[in-house]
Amino acid sequence: MSQRVVIDPITRIEGHLRIEVEIENGKVKNAWSSGTLFRGIEMILKGRDPRDAWLFTQRACGVCTYVHGLASVRSVEDALGVKAPNMARLLRNLMLGAQFLHDHPVHFYALHALDWVDVVNALKADPKRTARLAASVSSAAASGARDFEVVQQKLKSFVESGQLGPFANAYWGHSAYNLTPEADLLAAKHYLDCLQMQVKAAQLHAVFGGKNPHIQSLTVGGVTCERDLSIDRVAHFLFQLKEVKSFIDNVYVPDLLAVASFYKDWGAIGGNSNFMAYGEFPQTDSEPDSLFLPRGAVFDRNLGNVVPVDPSKITEHVKHSWYEGEAALHPSKGETKPDFTPLNTEDRYSWLKAPRYDGHAMEVGPLARVLVAYAKGHEPTKKLVDQVVETLAIPPAALFSTLGRTAARAINTKVIADAMMDWTTELIELIKKGDTQTYQAYEWKDGTGMGLNDVPRGALGHWIQVEDKKIGNYQMVVPSTWNLGPRCSSDILGPVEQALIGTPVADPKKPLEILRTVHSFDPCIACAVHVIDPHSNEVYKIRVI
Amino acid sequence: MTHSEADTVVLGVGNVLLRDEGVGVHMIHRLRRKYEFPEHVDLVDGGTLGLNLLSVVCGCRRLVVIDAVRNGGEPGEVFVLRFEELPFHVRAKNSLHQVDLVEAITLAGLISDPPETIIVGIEPLDTEGWGTELTPPVMNQITLLEERVLEQLKFLGVCPQERCGNFEEDSRSFPFGEGKLPGTP
Repeated sequence: MSQRVVIDPITRIEGHLRIEVEIENGKVKNAWSSGTLFRGIEMILKGRDPRDAWLFTQRACGVCTYVHGLASVRSVEDALGVKAPNMARLLRNLMLGAQFLHDHPVHFYALHALDWVDVVNALKADPKRTARLAASVSSAAASGARDFEVVQQKLKSFVESGQLGPFANAYWGHSAYNLTPEADLLAAKHYLDCLQMQVKAAQLHAVFGGKNPHIQSLTVGGVTCERDLSIDRVAHFLFQLKEVKSFIDNVYVPDLLAVASFYKDWGAIGGNSNFMAYGEFPQTDSEPDSLFLPRGAVFDRNLGNVVPVDPSKITEHVKHSWYEGEAALHPSKGETKPDFTPLNTEDRYSWLKAPRYDGHAMEVGPLARVLVAYAKGHEPTKKLVDQVVETLAIPPAALFSTLGRTAARAINTKVIADAMMDWTTELIELIKKGDTQTYQAYEWKDGTGMGLNDVPRGALGHWIQVEDKKIGNYQMVVPSTWNLGPRCSSDILGPVEQALIGTPVADPKKPLEILRTVHSFDPCIACAVHVIDPHSNEVYKIRVI
Repeated sequence: MTHSEADTVVLGVGNVLLRDEGVGVHMIHRLRRKYEFPEHVDLVDGGTLGLNLLSVVCGCRRLVVIDAVRNGGEPGEVFVLRFEELPFHVRAKNSLHQVDLVEAITLAGLISDPPETIIVGIEPLDTEGWGTELTPPVMNQITLLEERVLEQLKFLGVCPQERCGNFEEDSRSFPFGEGKLPGTP
């Protein structure tokens, strides 16, 4: 006898994701992922000045602000045939790197950790033993027993007041939580440390970005932060970078390994077979050849054969989405013609389109980046992946999983943080040489352009059509559409749908296991998974939006 | 404005692509064009929220937030609320998008002293439709909203200087493309 479970939105901050699963014999048998917020930024852009597009696109979201600005500027530059100078390339890489250093640890601690860490259980921990555990996990960032006592007191006052604050509404006490009370307390302490770290990471973004959120220093043809190329500003950047990097090296990566060691069974749950990375961080103006993280696609988990990505093979399907027709179109020809019908998992059930590469559903994001880099022999990635596999004593095939996805996010963050140290040195050398040109002039011409980025959540593409100095058409294919999109014309499941199949669910009323896999994709697109809870579904007199 | 070194921050939040949802950001740009503020006061365009507002919130002692507030009133109605009056319910998150301003201020209390916070809000008409302009009922009350913000600042001892020259009313005061109109070169 099968049972349907729906995980649906209750509040709105930036949008929704709805997950419906069919559970049979304690396992997920079928899954449907629905984006229930209609996106229409493309419609706002038509007829505007292409040079302004990035200011709009980066306002679509308060988490992924910079990346939509960068993708937009790259697409216009591609259409106009302009190449940003070396210094601009470097500054853009550093700003994008800062986005990773902010987003990935914050995702791990503020969102994903609560799927693995039982905060209430941490109240039972012995602070002295926790301090010893902390020292064994990472000597560099160890705290004393007193620190853990303070955190435990803080948690206790939350729990006793009945107001769990940031830790409310989770599944505390669920049988799928495996950590010891001491490990729970250690992670809870680092959750608070992460809040402090992210303040620094956000500041890092603003050094060359002018402000955060929504940086101001991009422009078609380069960047506008030439005046920030002073000793003071670069030193400030380097100082903040070192602090954030120290958190990644001494807290994030060790915690990831410590938590993962309790959940090795998740190395066999939540995996996909096809992966795609657009690659990122150009080291010269030649793309994709000079990308620090390489571009490529992997099919059927075959790491022996990385296929080059041909962007003309990308299509977006709407057979199961709330748009007119059934045609699968290339993004440059993409249409956004909404046509809502009641949600029906057999027919149309999502506002997200279903992007496919050569007809295949592709997982994008940290795991795709790490697998492609690993398969292409990217040394820094290879070294860390081998270390993680060895430390956890898991077979390499365990990377194709929810555990692998979460580990890949940490690996990716460290690889980028390390590289940013080198890029900052390169920046200083360029300044010394007087190579500080940040802008390349250009002439108008009509044409189409694409901006391919690999951003924290995965492959992001913007496509633009420039007609008579105006935007003729604009389409964005965002990472979460790749990952969370619905079935396509051939009824092939989207990556999250596929990943959920086979997931064990101990208690359908508390589908913690489903959240683990969905959260491991770091859902975005102005989208969020919410769990129905009638007790918290109150109507407030005042709601700040 | 890497982060606020200022003692007092005026923070406008919202999404300027969703009509009235962006009213807080519009107001920040309006105040900037119209007034000159003393050095210990920062005007911050907080945009579409997110946890990175923590860096703004943690850095100041006093915070005036401008935002669209659904309070069951008539569109355009202006409210002044203390932070303590807001329903405090921070839930477990499923997406980082769920970290809203209320939560950012609450979390600030976990890592430092949270600022004394006042919210000046206006009842929106439309926060879901795509568009960069405010709706007429909100636009009609924009000077009242501005007065309420200035009034709160006055309580805090902040009196900005009005800039010389005529101020032009504009329902899309957010400077997309440095104020260029769509399609102009």
